[in-house]
Amino acid sequence: MFDLPEIPYLLTLLVLIPLIGAIVALSMGGEKQKYAKTVSIIFSAITLVLAVYLMLSSDYGQYTENYTWIETAGLKMSYILTVDGLSILMVFLTALLLLVVSIFSSHQTDKPNYFFALLLAMEVGLMGVYMSADYFLFYIMWEVTLIPMYFMISWFGGPRRHYAAIKFFIYTHVASLVMLIGIFALAFQASQGGVVDFSFAAVLAGSVAFSATFQTLVFGLMFFGFAVKMPIVPFHTWLPDAHTEAPTAGSVLLAGVMLKMGSYGIIRVCLEALPDGAVTWQPIMFVVAIVAIIYGAYACIAQKDLKKMVAFSSISHMGMVMLGIACLSEIGLEFAIFLMFAHGLITAVLFMTCGLAHDLFETREIPLLGGLASKVPVYATFMMFGFMASLGLPGLVGFWGEFGIIFGFYEYAESVNMIWLIVFCLFSLLLTAGYYLWAMQRTLFGRLTKKLPGEVMEHMRDVNKTEGIAMGIMCLMIAIFGLWPDLALNIISQYSSALMGVI
Amino acid sequence: MDASIITNLFGEFSSMAPMIILILGVLLMPALYFTTKNRNVVSVAMLSFIVVSMLVNAVLLLGSYQGDYLGLFEYDAFSGLMILLFQIVILLVAIVSASSVEVTHLHYGAFASLLMAATTGMMFVATATDLIVIFVGVELASISSYVLVAMKRNDPRASEAAVKYVIIGGLSTALTVYGISMLYGVTGTTNLQEIAVSLSTQGFTWAFGIAMITMIAGYGFKIAAVPFHMWAPDVYEGAPTPVSMFLATGSKKMGIVVFFKIFLIMFVAGVSVASFATVEMQYLFAIIAAITMTVGNVVAISQTNIKRMLAYSSIAQAGYILIVMAVMSEYALTGGIFHMFTHVFMKGGAFLVVGALICAGIGEKITDYRGLAKRAPFLAFAMMLFLFSLAGIPPLAGFTSKFVLFSSAIYSDGGATSQWVWLAFIAILNSAISLYYYARVVKVMYVEKGESTEKIKVPKAFLAAILICVVAVIVLGIFPQIILGPAADAAAAFFSVV
Repeated sequence: MFDLPEIPYLLTLLVLIPLIGAIVALSMGGEKQKYAKTVSIIFSAITLVLAVYLMLSSDYGQYTENYTWIETAGLKMSYILTVDGLSILMVFLTALLLLVVSIFSSHQTDKPNYFFALLLAMEVGLMGVYMSADYFLFYIMWEVTLIPMYFMISWFGGPRRHYAAIKFFIYTHVASLVMLIGIFALAFQASQGGVVDFSFAAVLAGSVAFSATFQTLVFGLMFFGFAVKMPIVPFHTWLPDAHTEAPTAGSVLLAGVMLKMGSYGIIRVCLEALPDGAVTWQPIMFVVAIVAIIYGAYACIAQKDLKKMVAFSSISHMGMVMLGIACLSEIGLEFAIFLMFAHGLITAVLFMTCGLAHDLFETREIPLLGGLASKVPVYATFMMFGFMASLGLPGLVGFWGEFGIIFGFYEYAESVNMIWLIVFCLFSLLLTAGYYLWAMQRTLFGRLTKKLPGEVMEHMRDVNKTEGIAMGIMCLMIAIFGLWPDLALNIISQYSSALMGVI
Repeated sequence: MDASIITNLFGEFSSMAPMIILILGVLLMPALYFTTKNRNVVSVAMLSFIVVSMLVNAVLLLGSYQGDYLGLFEYDAFSGLMILLFQIVILLVAIVSASSVEVTHLHYGAFASLLMAATTGMMFVATATDLIVIFVGVELASISSYVLVAMKRNDPRASEAAVKYVIIGGLSTALTVYGISMLYGVTGTTNLQEIAVSLSTQGFTWAFGIAMITMIAGYGFKIAAVPFHMWAPDVYEGAPTPVSMFLATGSKKMGIVVFFKIFLIMFVAGVSVASFATVEMQYLFAIIAAITMTVGNVVAISQTNIKRMLAYSSIAQAGYILIVMAVMSEYALTGGIFHMFTHVFMKGGAFLVVGALICAGIGEKITDYRGLAKRAPFLAFAMMLFLFSLAGIPPLAGFTSKFVLFSSAIYSDGGATSQWVWLAFIAILNSAISLYYYARVVKVMYVEKGESTEKIKVPKAFLAAILICVVAVIVLGIFPQIILGPAADAAAAFFSVV
């Protein structure tokens, strides 16, 4: 966009700065604990500035770092960081969300040094996943995100946190191990008996010789690994538990950027290196996507817990992303990537409002709430804004993703003469609008609830300044990218059109 | 570097130089303790002998020294690296043993002497080129270990463990001798290379088959491969923790080196002869490996005593290393050697943490570790690193070494996908199972609340040894080249002998 001077080691800095921040925050024991939040804000703000700088520079593709890490007679693993149209938005989103949750978590008084160190440590892993261009590094970073999240849930989570944390850990770790087998297969097959190079480029170069059977098989392994993370029904059961029990900051990062690791992986690995496998698996991808969309939306209607409802809506929306990817067309892919980004922005607001519900009303049970708009107008505004964005109100960011994906899917359905398939999508839109509006009606409007304890009603406060700033930033982003989607689409389309050349 | 400093000094005994230094120590320690009655003096003397021995070995290793003594002991890149491994093990044990409350106060000189004798035996095995030398080395290490296990005199568990260990050890010795004599009968020699040559010309015979089975069983006991593993949890639980660590990291590695020495040399040489039963033996090893890792991991889940849990996880880790015996490639051996090194640091480190906590009066039950993160932040953090490394979570050393080891089952030297993919699959599945019981300990330490919040004080020697392991687990994870390079050289040297 702009001709900015190049900053040396910019990509490494994006990983290194949060790491330093995590160490600094962790070392602030005793009396100094209360400054951990400041440290987190400072370091994540620096990271965000660098990420924005990277995004605004006219040719971010020039940023790439490549060093050989491990080399033996038979193996080569490298430290390669790079960004392109797919990853740069996720890098930006990660940096943005981390700053926002750091601002938001002002009430974190219990062991703040650990809390913020874990947040920053998660950012290290996330940045690494989105920027690495070597399977070995990618896998390591992938696993690095796991451990801070495990501790985040089991230290700072709700009443059933231990169960949820262990479930999250084991589910996603097993999935990563299956993915690891796929990585082995890819790298070894691509090397054709020469030195096994784990870099994306080397595998891509070797992938032309992959047979269709091999591609189908490995696609299955990799797809499973990523689908659990996304999560796709029936591997989704860890997600509602993890989300419900995680603290707000954890939920925001989990839904905002960690789930995206799954869809990111599918595009980056499955589509780039295994295009024939993708074609074979296309019908199955459609089926799981549609099941996830409908099932997630249905499950939302049944939820009493506000946060659980949002968690299930994530399953539905990630199913939408999957649907876009499954189209294997330029438009489907472009908007799938856009929806990944959009959903990251929107869920942040949603989970922050759910987290606040617990702080303000001491419950998240929808049946206990009602008529709150008169008591806490600012809170109600943010909640409505989030819900509207999530159900795809035109003018907000959520609309563009869903619109594009459904258009892509329509194109596909028309090409195979199965137009009726589109009914599923429309049905899910209807359900989505239904459960959001219904939830809003039951919590914000109507008669003021009498089911909350008297003291809670008496001392009820509205959103405070830091929480307002945090949610305000996100709402602003939702509006900006909603009114001017080209801002993101221009970046994405460079990538998606290049990828379509491969498939 | 030039190895001539050592060769000038030791002459024709150069290939045995690191061992000779330790043998001097073996002889000197009891006398030193008898005259001074001071554990610290003995400890310092022991450490200096070990360090000198390490320096000598380092000079030989860096000088790429090659030489043999009477065709019985041969020093090359492989034996040098294995000697280094055993030296690291004894170094860690020696640092902590004087401060450990579990190690007897009465016979510390004997303890030190036996420890060094056992290590010397292991080094014999590392350099051996002859079945008899291997046998002598294994017995030297084993007999010394029996006594070491029994030295926690006022604990009935220790006596039980020692008795069990002696009986099982004796049985395995008997089996081994039987196998060796059969093999001698078939081939007319005890030299490993000559045996390999002789076998590759005469092909498979039933007498040879029986010899193989008895030797696999005999040495299978030493590495606690399933179904010969029953003794290990009892012995590791009963022995003083530094000794458990010595057995789990050192003695077990010796057994694995024996497997490498005897079976790899025989079978790799036999590959060229179609009538030879190499493929069948590979399958046998693959099955043993698969069962060993699965049984170890599954049984570990139900353990409530941390030492028993570590013992079963150790059995599982031996199963991983046995992949080398199934794959039988140079690349697999590289991965095996690398994993042996990382295993020393992660399993050794975990045992050291347990030992340190026992010194502070904390029990051996996993539930005793509740709230440890508050009471001993460094120990809990170190334990977490070791356990995550054992589970193979990046970027720790255990992940990198498992990565190389498991990938060897997929990628054979020629480059084609090998027939052992299923073994890699089982190994990875096992890694997933193992995470369950490792994560449980981490959860107990970090998440559950303990009854006491009092800070725990442990001897400084333990902290030093644990710190070495922590650094190694992190550094080897991020810069695996440090060991991976030498391991590749060692594997190449090993296969050039064949």
